[in-house]
Amino acid sequence: MAVFEPEAEGLVLDAEETGGDVVGRSPWSLAGRRLLRNKLALAAFALFVLIVAVSLAAPLYAHRVAHTDPYASNLSGTFQLNGKTVQVIQQGAGKLGLGETPVGPTWHAKYFIGADSQGRDVMARVLYGGRASLFIGVGSALLACLVALVLALVAGYFGGITDLVLSRLMDLIWAFPLYLLAISLATVLLARPTTKPLKIWFITLQAASLWIPLLIIGIVYIPYVFRPIRGQVLSLREKEFVEAAVAQGAGSLRVVFLEVLPNVLSTVIVLLPLMIATTILTESALSYLSIGVQPPKASWGTIVEDGQTLLYTRPWVAIAPGIMIVLTVLALNVFGDGLRDALDPRSKVRMK
Amino acid sequence: MVTFAVRRLLGLIAVMLVLSVLVFLIFFETPGVDPARLMAGRNPNQATINAIRHEFGLDRPLPVRYALMMKRMFITRDLISYGSHTRVIPEITSATPVTLSLVVGAAVIWVIFSILTGVAATVLRGTVFDPILMILALIGISMPVFWLGEIVNLFTQSRWHGFFLFSWVPPLGYTPITQNPLKWFEGLVFPWLTLSVLYVGFYARVLRANLIETENEDYIRTARSKGISERRVLLRHNLRTSMITFVSLFGLDFGILVGGGALLTEVVFGLPGVGLLTYNSLTSLDLPVIMTTVIYGAFFITLASALVDLLYAWLDPRVRPT
Amino acid sequence: MRARSLFLLVAALGLTATLAACGGSSKSSKGTTSTSTSAGAAGGTFIAVANKAPSGSPDPQIDYTLQEWQLLIFTHDGLVAFKRVGGTGGTQLVPDLATSIPNPTDGGKTYTFTIRKGIKFSNGKELKPSDVKYTFLRLFKIKQSPNAGSWYNVIVGGDACVKTPASCNLDQGVIANDAKGTVTFHLTRGDPEFLDKLAVPFAFILPTGTPNHEVQIPPPGTGPYKWVEYNPNKALKLVRNPFFKEWSKDAQPNGNPDTIIEKLNISVEGEVTQVENGQADWMFDLPPSDRLNEMSTKYSKQVYINPLTAVLYFAFNVRVPPFNNLKARQAVNFATDRNALVKIYGGPKLAVPTCQILPPGFPGYKAYCPYTKNPGSGKWTAPDLAKARKLVAESGTKGAVVKVNTDTTDVDKGFGEYFIGLLNSLGYKAQPQFLSADIQYPFCQNSKNKVQFCFSSWYQDYPAASDFLNVLLGCSDFVPNSNASPNISEFCDKGIQAQMNGALKQGITDPSGANQKWAQIDHAVTDQAPWVAMFNPKYVNFVSKRVKGFQFSPQWYFLIDQASVK
Repeated sequence: MAVFEPEAEGLVLDAEETGGDVVGRSPWSLAGRRLLRNKLALAAFALFVLIVAVSLAAPLYAHRVAHTDPYASNLSGTFQLNGKTVQVIQQGAGKLGLGETPVGPTWHAKYFIGADSQGRDVMARVLYGGRASLFIGVGSALLACLVALVLALVAGYFGGITDLVLSRLMDLIWAFPLYLLAISLATVLLARPTTKPLKIWFITLQAASLWIPLLIIGIVYIPYVFRPIRGQVLSLREKEFVEAAVAQGAGSLRVVFLEVLPNVLSTVIVLLPLMIATTILTESALSYLSIGVQPPKASWGTIVEDGQTLLYTRPWVAIAPGIMIVLTVLALNVFGDGLRDALDPRSKVRMK
Repeated sequence: MVTFAVRRLLGLIAVMLVLSVLVFLIFFETPGVDPARLMAGRNPNQATINAIRHEFGLDRPLPVRYALMMKRMFITRDLISYGSHTRVIPEITSATPVTLSLVVGAAVIWVIFSILTGVAATVLRGTVFDPILMILALIGISMPVFWLGEIVNLFTQSRWHGFFLFSWVPPLGYTPITQNPLKWFEGLVFPWLTLSVLYVGFYARVLRANLIETENEDYIRTARSKGISERRVLLRHNLRTSMITFVSLFGLDFGILVGGGALLTEVVFGLPGVGLLTYNSLTSLDLPVIMTTVIYGAFFITLASALVDLLYAWLDPRVRPT
Repeated sequence: MRARSLFLLVAALGLTATLAACGGSSKSSKGTTSTSTSAGAAGGTFIAVANKAPSGSPDPQIDYTLQEWQLLIFTHDGLVAFKRVGGTGGTQLVPDLATSIPNPTDGGKTYTFTIRKGIKFSNGKELKPSDVKYTFLRLFKIKQSPNAGSWYNVIVGGDACVKTPASCNLDQGVIANDAKGTVTFHLTRGDPEFLDKLAVPFAFILPTGTPNHEVQIPPPGTGPYKWVEYNPNKALKLVRNPFFKEWSKDAQPNGNPDTIIEKLNISVEGEVTQVENGQADWMFDLPPSDRLNEMSTKYSKQVYINPLTAVLYFAFNVRVPPFNNLKARQAVNFATDRNALVKIYGGPKLAVPTCQILPPGFPGYKAYCPYTKNPGSGKWTAPDLAKARKLVAESGTKGAVVKVNTDTTDVDKGFGEYFIGLLNSLGYKAQPQFLSADIQYPFCQNSKNKVQFCFSSWYQDYPAASDFLNVLLGCSDFVPNSNASPNISEFCDKGIQAQMNGALKQGITDPSGANQKWAQIDHAVTDQAPWVAMFNPKYVNFVSKRVKGFQFSPQWYFLIDQASVK
């Protein structure tokens, strides 16, 4: 659901900044200076880095602090809380003794925000979930941007039938229902016997591999990036410096790489954080619908889904991963905004 | 203009055709999928499975099967769901009012609030309110709708339900407007608000950016220099121009949502609309319903984008397509 | 505990023969044995709520779900019926549209029924023997009746009808005489379950002239109610049949409510809330686990818990590594903490751990559990991890990759997650293979897919040990490369199969002697560990405050029309 208005020129300088003191500076360093002046964007970037760091430190938390395995069920387990032995899954209450309830937030190292219905430490899972969500989010955004960039360069530069075919292909991917693609692809991959896992280059697509949602989301978002870049390449082709390069006898590959690519790169850079924000949201939606990351592994979306059946009794299971999603996506959006203002002050590229 | 409309119509049909063929092929390539076996119940013998396979034409070659399904969907309109064995078309037509109720209500909310927010932020530029409003808008964009829905449910259905402000909230579900307009309204208030949060944030930001951009256009400057009041300039001239982008985006989003894009909201609030129908048919791999909902969705999405293009061409002759 | 797959839980319910079924299952959790309908007054509207429409078809001769059968029993009648009462009495066959239950002649191959006079369909037409014949012709002619080819082809001419439905006539198999008021069935062989097959909705009598293709709402019937609405996205609605006059309280008693509505497409959470608030009278689906607590504390008087003769299990594939190794299978059985699985299902009040194939109270059941700490009592007490690790080491299967296959409903996925952790801790490399509930069962059945470890469940068709042991673990029930192969384990032990065949033969003349044999077979199979049997489940019914006269039949579960809302 992104909307782009392709930016014709790559970097544009603000009227105020084309004054004397910037003579001789490259547009990139100008952009860097502008970004450094934007405190909010820097704070957002710091928050994102913090979330990444915390997620990377998940094993440390699980093993050193909570002493738990975030993937193993612990349904019959007990633990010590304030000197008392507490059951992880507590027996049903009331006259009928129905309703097994996992332990709620202890606000201690163990089960800090409680357990899920399998008796696993939710805090540890949220941290591990961050690894999965970020891996898939960043990975699929990079994949989408990279593939889209290459295709857009090819389509935009060569034009004609190449352009037509690629553009129609993109339209098709765009109109294809994401959830259907996710469900059927996951089923196809899941159904393969263990002896014959699917291999794509260096990636082994095991049933529960994080690469599956990564690839699905990455592919789905290619048109998202393809369209604005293609537009930009098309207009660049008409520019004098490209025409000059062609006139001087430069090969088309050379022109694309040396003349066109550097000019569209800033667009891709502006798009990347916003794309990551989008792909993280998409991944969480897929996992929430149980077609993304498969349990016992977890992403933030998976944990929200786990928490749904505990919503009224143990709301923290669903609340905590959601907060992480909001913080991460917000940080990326704010930072992306700042990056765009810095690289592209006329704010032509927008996204949702 | 007519040729343009015809071309878009042909394009629409082409997209739906290719899409439906793809969906069809993917379905029959999915392992474990055997509609006849599914329909045959718990412990059928092979003869029964074969009889059903024959009855539903599942033993014919793929192209024939595809043609049969299309015929039953569009011509005889008696396509039968593999899951419930009931007609698919009435299922969709009875789900449409639910989705329309949800989307139209949410759209009203998001249009009003995003215009208010966008204009307020523009007017208050330079004060602390502008960045605050824009951060709030960003927070709205950053929230997963299913999570927001769950939190809303947690409070309105459970935690605060006893509190007088929320005690009127009915249990999750949908009441048709024809049956009880008040219950219809009550049941949709929170789904509307939840769905519109994202769009309020997004549209407010788009509008603000557009307002600021047009502010620097020559004719606005001229109007201002002629002594027309600031408010009048903003409302009569600037806002009007800026609404072009707004309206075209709105058209696209509205089409996507009516076509089943409100799936997550419908799932969280248990609203039996097109999105929920699509989701259920996907998880139960019920091909006739999948095909119909996919085509239905693609129809609205492509129709909306064609309409928006037409609107654009009408509003702004420079971009009239050739 | 989200709504379990109807396909397994509900479509699963088939025949119940006349033997005592659920071992006193009629008792509700409160210990009050339900008695007949006198508890409430007639009138009012009974509102049921359900998450989805019955999967299958509105057509009574095609539908195979408890959800629709629960309603069809009081809109239609068979020649015979299961007695409409709660408790063990509910498995007893009584005459319904027939005046009495005939004794078969001709070596069990001929049944002659006399049809009651003066019974009218809800369209005002009078029931005639020719309607019976028409009903059975239609059963074959609509081509999709799931059990036409497995249950009703025992009627002479049935096999030909399955093969070529268009030319189906049953002239030799069903002979109706309107003048004498009789219908005679000729069978190709003696079938001890034939009467049971006449008592389920496939064989409920429909009026002559009902279209010979799938209908979109159940056609007129003879019961106290008739169908007026069948909208799978909205509701099912039944109102009183003005032509109904009670002829047998046992077979088809008059109902209490004036109108019965089942509202559809309501989230399971919403169902609970509506019943709590009194906006609905009963929820069809099992309540979600996070609501059980409040039901147990605040609404305990409105909850009824009844045990089911069913078992939930994971099947090993005994032909694919690593579980082609007996020690590996036994190791997993020793290691399984059945209490943990019970907790996932909803706690000890809703399920009882088991190690064996047959459920408690079943013919041939003798408690047996070798896979526990301190075996001997027959009861499962705790896992024996030390023994499990030793067996894994001895089997030499450590490090093998195992895909744990289950469906994507919350509870069933929970079982899968538990076993992934367990198998990993035993030294295997476990991976999830969670498939949509609608394809998981056939997927596991097909040997081509080489599923190693698969979740499944079995609910009785009829109370006979063979329904579990022979149907699920018999040699002939493994069909290679077929989606219809109920023996998921691909288990086939020649010695045990010979014993089963012997017990089947003995059962015709000496049922109790045969049941002793079945007990031995049950234990022998359990020793071979083709499954990890997990537990025997119970059923939770949640009704509104105003509902009186709750009765639970082992055949039809909650008898809706016998409850009162006035």
